Amino acid sequence: MFYKIFIFESSHKVLKADKVLTENKIKFDVIPTPKEFSSDCGLSIRIKESDAELLKVEAILEKNDLNFKVHNKEMK
Amino acid sequence: MKTVDAKGKLCPVPLIMTKKALGEIKEDESLKILIDNETSVKNVTRFLEDQNLKIATAKNGNVFELMVTKTGEIPEDISAEKYCTPDDKQGNYVVSIQRNRLGDGDEELGKILIKAFVNTLPENSILPKTIIFLNSGIFLALNDSPVIDSLKKLEQSGVEILSCGTCLDFYKKKDELGVGRVSNMYDILERLSAAGNVLYP
Repeated sequence: MFYKIFIFESSHKVLKADKVLTENKIKFDVIPTPKEFSSDCGLSIRIKESDAELLKVEAILEKNDLNFKVHNKEMK
Repeated sequence: MKTVDAKGKLCPVPLIMTKKALGEIKEDESLKILIDNETSVKNVTRFLEDQNLKIATAKNGNVFELMVTKTGEIPEDISAEKYCTPDDKQGNYVVSIQRNRLGDGDEELGKILIKAFVNTLPENSILPKTIIFLNSGIFLALNDSPVIDSLKKLEQSGVEILSCGTCLDFYKKKDELGVGRVSNMYDILERLSAAGNVLYP
């Protein structure tokens, strides 16, 4: 399965992202940041690449002043 | 030639079918065994080799064809089932989740950490034998849990998932259990005491 991995600047930002995405009823997973993506924060958010809500997610994050980087990764 | 079709059958069924068929054929007669999963091929091969039988294995698409010639009687008292080894991926450890967060400290951080923990479990090289949910841990096993997909994936991979019935009842969530089954302290203590290791995240 291919996923988009959203990486944030700090744990607090991940907590906030978790909160706003949950409030917006988005389906996502919190995962430890995959080792190959360096980040100051050990946690990331994962969304299925095929998910139609991907653009909505980006819009929600931007609206809440959450800066992020997106990576692609195939995971089990 | 007699053929045993054990496609779609999981251990120990292919072993039992093979042993039975060998009992039915005559000396020097050959038997063909069809199996479609590698674990069963290994187990059946080990079983036949221990009976000093020669095996030729061929692969046809997803199906393995094992050819064996009967060169002696298989003793009745040999237990074919004991050649059934669990999948190598399954470890002998139990994860006991006693609350809906990980570690002490900030509650919000704890809640997000437990999500990351559970979501990583399906990718761990060795899967737990059982995951147990107790007290507020049961909230992670409910239909609306943020980690329900990962838990279902684990269950499909053969991980047993137990939730404390008393706890589901206390929080009035019995109807909302989304994965695994309702359990009691007898079963839970049994799993914990039989485990090689117990993880308390």
